[in-house]
Amino acid sequence: MYRIERDRSRFREIVRGKLRKDLRRYLSTSELLGRRGEHTVSIPVPQIELPRFHFGENKKGGVGQGPGEKGDPLGGEAKEGDGAGAAGEHEGQHVMEVEVELEELAEMLGKELELPDIQPRGERHLLAEGGRFTGIRSHGPKSLRHFRRTFKNALRRTIAAGEWDPAEPRVVPIADDERFRMQKSCPQPDSSAVIFHVMDVSGSMGREQKDIVRIKAFWIDTWLRSQYKNLEVVYIVHDAVAKIVDQDAFFHLRESGGTKISSAYELVLQLVLDKYRPEDWNIYPFHYSDGDNWSARDTERCVTLLRDELLPRVNQFCYGQVKSAYGSGQFKKDLDSALEGNERLVTASINDREGIPEAIRAFLGKGR
Amino acid sequence: MALSSTLPPRLREESRRIEEVARAFGLDFFPVVFEMLDAKDVNAIAAYGGFPVRYPSWRFGMDFERLEKGRTYGLSKIYELVINNDPTYAYLVRTNTDMEQKLVMAHVFGHADFFRHNLWFAPTERNMLDRMASHGTRLSRAIDERGADTVEIFLDRALSLDNLVDPFLPLAEHLRRRKRETEPASHAERARRNLEALIDPRSAAKQAEPEPLSGAVTLPTFDVLGFLLEKAPLERWERDVLRMVRAEAYYFMPQRMTKIMNEGWASFWHSRILTSGVLAESEIVDFADCHSGATATASGQLNPYKLGIELYRHAEEQGYDLFRLRRAHNDTSFIDELVDEDFARTNQLFLFGKNARTGRTEVLDRDWREIKEKLLQDLSWGGLPQIELVEENHEGRGELLLLHRHDGRDLQLMHAAETLKHVARIWKKPVHLLTLEEGQGKKLTCDGETIKASDAVVPGAKPASEAG
Repeated sequence: MYRIERDRSRFREIVRGKLRKDLRRYLSTSELLGRRGEHTVSIPVPQIELPRFHFGENKKGGVGQGPGEKGDPLGGEAKEGDGAGAAGEHEGQHVMEVEVELEELAEMLGKELELPDIQPRGERHLLAEGGRFTGIRSHGPKSLRHFRRTFKNALRRTIAAGEWDPAEPRVVPIADDERFRMQKSCPQPDSSAVIFHVMDVSGSMGREQKDIVRIKAFWIDTWLRSQYKNLEVVYIVHDAVAKIVDQDAFFHLRESGGTKISSAYELVLQLVLDKYRPEDWNIYPFHYSDGDNWSARDTERCVTLLRDELLPRVNQFCYGQVKSAYGSGQFKKDLDSALEGNERLVTASINDREGIPEAIRAFLGKGR
Repeated sequence: MALSSTLPPRLREESRRIEEVARAFGLDFFPVVFEMLDAKDVNAIAAYGGFPVRYPSWRFGMDFERLEKGRTYGLSKIYELVINNDPTYAYLVRTNTDMEQKLVMAHVFGHADFFRHNLWFAPTERNMLDRMASHGTRLSRAIDERGADTVEIFLDRALSLDNLVDPFLPLAEHLRRRKRETEPASHAERARRNLEALIDPRSAAKQAEPEPLSGAVTLPTFDVLGFLLEKAPLERWERDVLRMVRAEAYYFMPQRMTKIMNEGWASFWHSRILTSGVLAESEIVDFADCHSGATATASGQLNPYKLGIELYRHAEEQGYDLFRLRRAHNDTSFIDELVDEDFARTNQLFLFGKNARTGRTEVLDRDWREIKEKLLQDLSWGGLPQIELVEENHEGRGELLLLHRHDGRDLQLMHAAETLKHVARIWKKPVHLLTLEEGQGKKLTCDGETIKASDAVVPGAKPASEAG
């Protein structure tokens, strides 16, 4: 129905306007996390209602129906005074969820933080086999049988053979009549990227620090997803040893113990060498830590790994240092001084949630 | 729409049969037209309050979004949608079972009878389908001339005032007019009317239009919209928008005032009609299931279907003439007439509220008098706060003074302040609202942008110790 779709899109437009206005707030809260589907994010927005004169809180109860003695609590979610007939009176603060395309959200993010589009690295374009069933062939699995074509052939053959009887229009296809759908390949330019989210989960990274990492990871994913068709995300946690974990564990794991950052860098390097080769992938490692490494020697090892192995292979390596009560923050200083001027390394320190948007801009603002 | 919206022959036959039974029981209605639509289209029409064509507004889109969410996730489902019009239109959802369709049809005949014969509906526009469509056209024209944004801003302003009407005004005017018409008119008056009808038959028809727009609005009045329409400094298109909003508000008001009676009446009759041979034996259990679902009660919420049907049954036992009841009452007077100790007990009515000590909501009382009083209060004035315009030249500055007639229930002040802004923007001068907050008199003053609140002495308010 055309008319209602027009009103619906106007409503969505208004909601988007609100969203855009409030984007800064979403950027530093965990409200949107866990609301991401494959292509959309469902975002809770306070329902926008026209103001009207109506009764407020002290309306004090109402009339209900059912068993119960004086003093018994009301079961379930009794709505304040929504009693007789006046349903819909309370234009209060219902929360409504609005589905927004990831692409659109990324666009808002890009506008808000003035992020440049990512420039393709080198001249590489992957050619992927596009898979659309547009062809026809005479052999194939039954599940792909093209019924109409098959029937037509059978009908044609029946009539040609003079076996067609309008009184009893029975058509029995034989093997020769059958036609099947076929996948036609059409090469398409494609681009793939991999994100490594690496997090320090040693004892000093507290809940707040992890939340900050989480929020950042969400927005970075959202942005890069809008830039690359095919995005893979690898989650790595490390204390003294590094391991690959799934998304859920990444956000909830709590380890304790020492910190050996080099273990994580080695793991990333291993993956880059084995699986996500730079010829085929755009590579984005993000490392978050509170900056406390186990020893100066390990830091040296990290610097070497970065300079000689990782940085030449990745689009950009981002190190985000989250301030914690226990961390010394030394690691960032060490990286900055050892690798000064290397444009593929971006470091940023994040003091609190408010610092998230700036850090995102630092990481993604170069368009690499 | 790909599929036809007319009923398949099987259901057309059923509707004819159900109509016959309904008429045999004494129900009487305008012709009823059933249309069969997909659930999504029914939701679209429901978002428009039952009308396929209305003016454009994002609010309808929002309602549609909500209904569609409910449908997609299987949380809610619309059964019936019927509008007060001549002919009466009702929509059936294509995917419902035959039993459900029959249930809806019988229910719809109940509503249709109620629309036609309840006194409060007598002044309503019976050609609302066309009227709504013409509102749509007029608004679209305004949009063409003034731009969508300008019109939307004004429309939203007007809509936020759409409950500032006098629920009793249309009927009062209707009765006055009818009295005038039945009284023997003077010779000159008769001649004038005849002449007018001769010159322009349309203007005569227009005069008969049951719209409470006649004559100057005199203060004090609850018809704030009517006053603004007459006196506010508006451009022509703005006045037109305000007129539409007001006409629609008055059209919907009786439905607000008779929700329990209307749903009760329809449920009472669908139950009686369907169980007198309309349903096949195999359908009875499904029907009972469906019916009890519609009349189920959740604690803390009154179900108008349930309360309504029980009131009619109670009335029937007491020997009332049901048809006279449905003609003369609205929810408030209906409950005033019928709720007694016996009814409150059998129906397990109770009063609930927050326990000040524990903070939880609990059963407060089962005294039927208290319950009745609360019911009457909740339902009075269409469930809305009474806001009266008392002065149009407040303190000699041409400012409006509104008075909230406080009955123990405070306004939601934040929203009231926002609403007041809209009044001021339409009036183009400051406006004031007197109300009570927790027993303390308050005066809100708004110049269209800012809100000032000050303590005030509010006339007609109970002393602070009794209020709230």
